[in-house]
Amino acid sequence: MKIEPLVQMTSISKSFGGVAALDDVDFQLLPGSVHALMGENGAGKSTLMKILAGVVQPDDGMIRKAGRTVRFASPREALDAGISTVFQEHSLLANLSIAENMCLGKEPLTVLGSVDVAVMEQNARNTLRGLGLNLDPATLVGNLSIAERQFVEIAHGISANADVIILDEPSAALNAADVEILNAQILSLKQQEKAVVYISHRMEEIFKICDTITVLKDGRNVDTVPVAAITPKRLIAMMVGRELAELFPPRPPRREGEVVLSIEGLRLTPDSAPCSIVLRRGEIVALAGLEGQGQRELVRSLVGRYAAHEGRVRIGSRELALPLPEDHGIRILQALGVSFVPEDRKLEGLFLELSLAHNLTIGLHSQHFELAPAGRHRDVIANSIKSLSIKAATPYTPVGTLSGGNQQKVLLGRYLALGADILLIEEPTRGVDVGAKAEIYKLLRAYANAGGSVVVLSRETLELIGLCDRLYVIHDKHVVAEMPAEQATEHAILEAALHR
Amino acid sequence: MSKVGQIFFRANSRHGLWTIPLLVAICCCAGLAAATADFVSRQNVLNLFAQAAPLILVSIGQMIVILVKGLDLSVGSVVSLTTGILSLNAPVYVTVPAAMLMAAVVGLLNGVAVTRFRVHPIIATLSIMGITQGAAMFVRPSAGGTVASEIVALVSGQLFGIYMPVIWTIVAILFGWKIVHASRFGLHLFAIGGGETAGTFGIAERRNVLAAYVLSSCFAAAAGIFLAGRIASGDPNIGTQYAVDSITAVALGGTQLAGGIGSLHGTLIGCGLLSLIANGMNLLNVSAFIQTVVKGAILLLVIALQPRKNIGL
Repeated sequence: MKIEPLVQMTSISKSFGGVAALDDVDFQLLPGSVHALMGENGAGKSTLMKILAGVVQPDDGMIRKAGRTVRFASPREALDAGISTVFQEHSLLANLSIAENMCLGKEPLTVLGSVDVAVMEQNARNTLRGLGLNLDPATLVGNLSIAERQFVEIAHGISANADVIILDEPSAALNAADVEILNAQILSLKQQEKAVVYISHRMEEIFKICDTITVLKDGRNVDTVPVAAITPKRLIAMMVGRELAELFPPRPPRREGEVVLSIEGLRLTPDSAPCSIVLRRGEIVALAGLEGQGQRELVRSLVGRYAAHEGRVRIGSRELALPLPEDHGIRILQALGVSFVPEDRKLEGLFLELSLAHNLTIGLHSQHFELAPAGRHRDVIANSIKSLSIKAATPYTPVGTLSGGNQQKVLLGRYLALGADILLIEEPTRGVDVGAKAEIYKLLRAYANAGGSVVVLSRETLELIGLCDRLYVIHDKHVVAEMPAEQATEHAILEAALHR
Repeated sequence: MSKVGQIFFRANSRHGLWTIPLLVAICCCAGLAAATADFVSRQNVLNLFAQAAPLILVSIGQMIVILVKGLDLSVGSVVSLTTGILSLNAPVYVTVPAAMLMAAVVGLLNGVAVTRFRVHPIIATLSIMGITQGAAMFVRPSAGGTVASEIVALVSGQLFGIYMPVIWTIVAILFGWKIVHASRFGLHLFAIGGGETAGTFGIAERRNVLAAYVLSSCFAAAAGIFLAGRIASGDPNIGTQYAVDSITAVALGGTQLAGGIGSLHGTLIGCGLLSLIANGMNLLNVSAFIQTVVKGAILLLVIALQPRKNIGL
């Protein structure tokens, strides 16, 4: 028996200003399936999904929904036709409650014409319950954690009673435990005979929950295959068009370099246990552990973005007492050759409207007296673009228009240009495709081999194990274990983190 | 922070921080009642109401615009032009619709400039203010003329023993409440003010922002009708103070100028507090110069002390 496809997209083409984003792409979705859409950043995944969601109109091609030809002029029309999207960007409004966010644009009204809060909250509560979430729908979204927000975002997508649900990187901001909950939700959607499109860069999840994989490259179909018939290695090869010998660069043999940074007696809060951390020259050290256990605060307290209770940091021959002043902690550290690369490149890292050249050199400019003439740093810009292989039309392209991987490289390039001896990096590859991930790992390893030292934080434990030399496992705001990366496994880290 | 502390010193909802101005207003009342004998007199309370009523009208409109990240500087000139139109030698059924039509057009121009041509709200409404003020000068070059007796009757006198300013204020408040806190439109205002993504929820951003500016102008025209009735004549400069006063009152009530956070009750408290301060300074014989200085200082202080986009946290 042949199952009638729920959505059939045929020969879709779309170009933006002469550049073809999609060229003759076919895509079909079956009911009761989870369909992964894979490809490097810029391969056309987002454009294809935006066309299906009515955000972008195709230049050519046909979309059939349940056998009928459709054309969506707006997201509203697509939603009415049962196609709902959870976009990658956080689109919830912080000043509205969960219920209001979920009902926005289609609020239930009372006989007097005002918004029926009771009905709205009841509906929202039911939807949240259906997903196994126990949140009060009257809570303002601004008061939720990032993971909770992501769940509400998904609940919002699902509450539309849609039969096609597009999830664009839903797990990028989630930790392992939350990903489990998300996966369970996706499987329950599948059982309800809905079609789910799943875009993610995390291989494990793809292989765990998806049925079919469609790979795009440079705006064209590469292939559509059942998950059972493919290996992760083969999938990566299809995405990048070549076999990735290895995602992680080889680790040099261990050597005991001199200590460049040491933290002693650090207590993040008055009631947390003190801990010490040591960083040696030429070494990449990871802070691993479950999310929200204080890894982030630990790194941020080093640059004054988090007020630790007490502690001492020794960098080279300088000794600093924590907490550092918030307004110029970063400058103090930068003067000592320590650079901090924040996690959220869009909000904290990059100046999205400014050019990539500007973003690369702004660190250099900030070292000089404010009224000093600003050098052009043409050589720095050219070198950075070349050595980091940043893909952009010109150095004057606004950095906001680049792909996630290229943005991340620009951010990294800014601190490399400063000639820092130590990098403190949060989430070096968040929302970045496999190809760019491998390049970033290579850059960091090359930096360490050249005598730099790196502290890395990441939600992806496998990344930490593959990239780093040594791991500290953080739990409940202090270090509970230290292990060389060769001996670390996800299991060992989890066990150390849960240490009881 | 304790529960009480949270309620009073943090904005835990999108209504903004309105509890502190309420406390300050109560303190002002108590202080003035103690310091001056006239404060609690029947005449002074009525005066206070008559002073506050037009400010409340203008401020409700101003708040609606501020909620969608805008600002309306043209409200004062709309007030002035309205009194000018009402003092023309024509029957009420011509002048009142003409004034409302004028207000709608001014609001539409503001809205189109902001939404369609993406002019910054301050610049857009500042230019429209110039145009409207010019029209007010043209219609009534200097204070004078007479306003139809029906309008005078509407704002002075009593209905069922209640003074008319009180009635109109209550009507305006109920109308404003309905718009801001009990309608889809109101929720959409908060949504648009809350972030860049309201459009993805299927909210027609431009149309709603346009409507906000039109409403603001219409509320200003209503204030103009009220004032024309009170002075029974036209005056091209009577509205001058209302742009700054309404912004001050709205900000004083905890509404954030960045948009998306605010409340009608906050705005009412802001209007009440501002009127109290003006009334108190009059009773204490503070000079007009100092009064202006104090108002400017309040605006600066309030904006500087506002928590930035701070919802709970």
